Amino acid sequence: MADKKKVLVIDDDDNLRTVLVDKLNASGYEADGAMDGEDGLTKALAQHPDVVLLDVMMPKMDGWEVLQNMREDAWGKSAKVIMLTVLENLDHVARGVEMHIEGYLVKTNWSLDDIVKHVEEAANK
Amino acid sequence: MPVDQSVTRYLVSAAIALCVSLVVTLGVLYATSNFFEHPQTYFVGAPSSALLQTYAAAAAAVAISFLISLIVYMTLTSRARVDLAVWNNARSMALSREQFRRLYEASPIPYLTLGPLGEIQDPNKAALRFFNVEPEEIVSANIFSFVAEEDREKANQLAKYYELNVPIDRQELHMTTKKNGVRIVSLSLLDMHKPGTHERTGLATLIDVTEEKMLDQARTEFVSLASHQMRTPLATFKWYLDMILSGGAGPLSDKQKEYIERLDAVNRNMLDLVDTLLNISRLDMGKLPIEKIAVNVQTLTESVLSEVGPQIVKKGLHIVRQYNNALTSLETDPKLLRIVIQNLINNAVKYTPEGGTVSITLEQTGNEPRISVSDTGYGIPATQQGRVFTKMFRAENVLRLSETQGTGLGLYLVHSIAETLGGHITFTSEENKGSTFIVTM
Repeated sequence: MADKKKVLVIDDDDNLRTVLVDKLNASGYEADGAMDGEDGLTKALAQHPDVVLLDVMMPKMDGWEVLQNMREDAWGKSAKVIMLTVLENLDHVARGVEMHIEGYLVKTNWSLDDIVKHVEEAANK
Repeated sequence: MPVDQSVTRYLVSAAIALCVSLVVTLGVLYATSNFFEHPQTYFVGAPSSALLQTYAAAAAAVAISFLISLIVYMTLTSRARVDLAVWNNARSMALSREQFRRLYEASPIPYLTLGPLGEIQDPNKAALRFFNVEPEEIVSANIFSFVAEEDREKANQLAKYYELNVPIDRQELHMTTKKNGVRIVSLSLLDMHKPGTHERTGLATLIDVTEEKMLDQARTEFVSLASHQMRTPLATFKWYLDMILSGGAGPLSDKQKEYIERLDAVNRNMLDLVDTLLNISRLDMGKLPIEKIAVNVQTLTESVLSEVGPQIVKKGLHIVRQYNNALTSLETDPKLLRIVIQNLINNAVKYTPEGGTVSITLEQTGNEPRISVSDTGYGIPATQQGRVFTKMFRAENVLRLSETQGTGLGLYLVHSIAETLGGHITFTSEENKGSTFIVTM
């Protein structure tokens, strides 16, 4: 279907990435995964997804670097990004707000359905 | 006057005084003995009363000779004695000055005396070791010029404070050293105004806290890494269980659903435990961030109650809410207060047998907001009440109950958080009657 919204999941954890991609695909999105920051940045800039789910702690390039790089791109500067993390950190929230992210979600606080809801909100904004 | 000269003078004076006294005494004694041998030359007819007078006169002569000797001695030595006292004082002052000097020089803490603008005048050995320099390399350099670039602004501010005579107490700064790179120090500057002059000097104390800071950072990083590593698999469990429960992997039989729900509950407990551990280590390190906003405690309490709703229903507990329309806008940190209320309500629910009552009271008495949670539960044995807020405490009477599990960390956390938020917690409890925990903010 052509009108399916595209979501890119950038997370180095194979298990989490897989279940997120499966869930999003099952919820009517066209989801793809990237296994580290570098891979994620390349895919994001090539595919121009509607929403990017971006993990914070990753090898090679962490979430903040990916975001920084994305913001320097013509498309990426207004791309919709939701940060995912397993650790709450108020400094991160503030930093995220400064970099115009759509959300900062602590993985363990939200169910998969909640994540889908956040993606939906961001995609339809 | 030079010290040895005054001693010589004292000794010479004393010797002269002794000699003169001796001569006077011998003279008087000679005259007296002469008188005893030939009294008739002095008294004509020598009456018996005259003998008595003779003895009296002799005694008086001896006394006078002593008195004269004493006066002569005192007169001759008075100046010398003053000199000696001065010499003694000067000596003890020189000694204490020397002791002070040695203390200053050999102290393991870097000290530097400073001029009125912060120019280094006299660094002690530890200061030279700290900067790894010879004295001539830093003497007359400004102490603030050693502050690293990242703290330049702060250094300028501190330099201004120093000039204005504002005391500087334990300010953390990055300082550049010759061989040891940039070190983090705690700097204190004390005004050492010289008495009787307008000359200003200061004493700088540098305490190297680099190791401490690094250790602290390592601990924070470890806690953060450990909790990240522990939470990732738990998040994985959570989402896969979510996926299965929501039918994302095909339909489930009732039994399968029940089992998955049990796993999900255990996983949630595990997550709570990891959160508690993380919060405790943050608290212990003073790293728990506090963000105060206006919080509606009633809404917060209700959301906690809805979380434990299933257990309340299962045990048939009665919940009594006495909100008194109070605490609808309490200035506090919602996340931390939530941990407090969550733990108190969870405990009340957990440690109250079926059919019991849990009451939550919110009050504002004067300036004091107060949150109380009481139950009609097992209570805490009187002998163990003193240890309630210690880490890993679990009362003996509940250890026997198979249905209650706990880490013994909850009340320790509640107590620490209440104090962190500027409040305190008290309780009353009676075994088999129940407990009441009161948090005052």
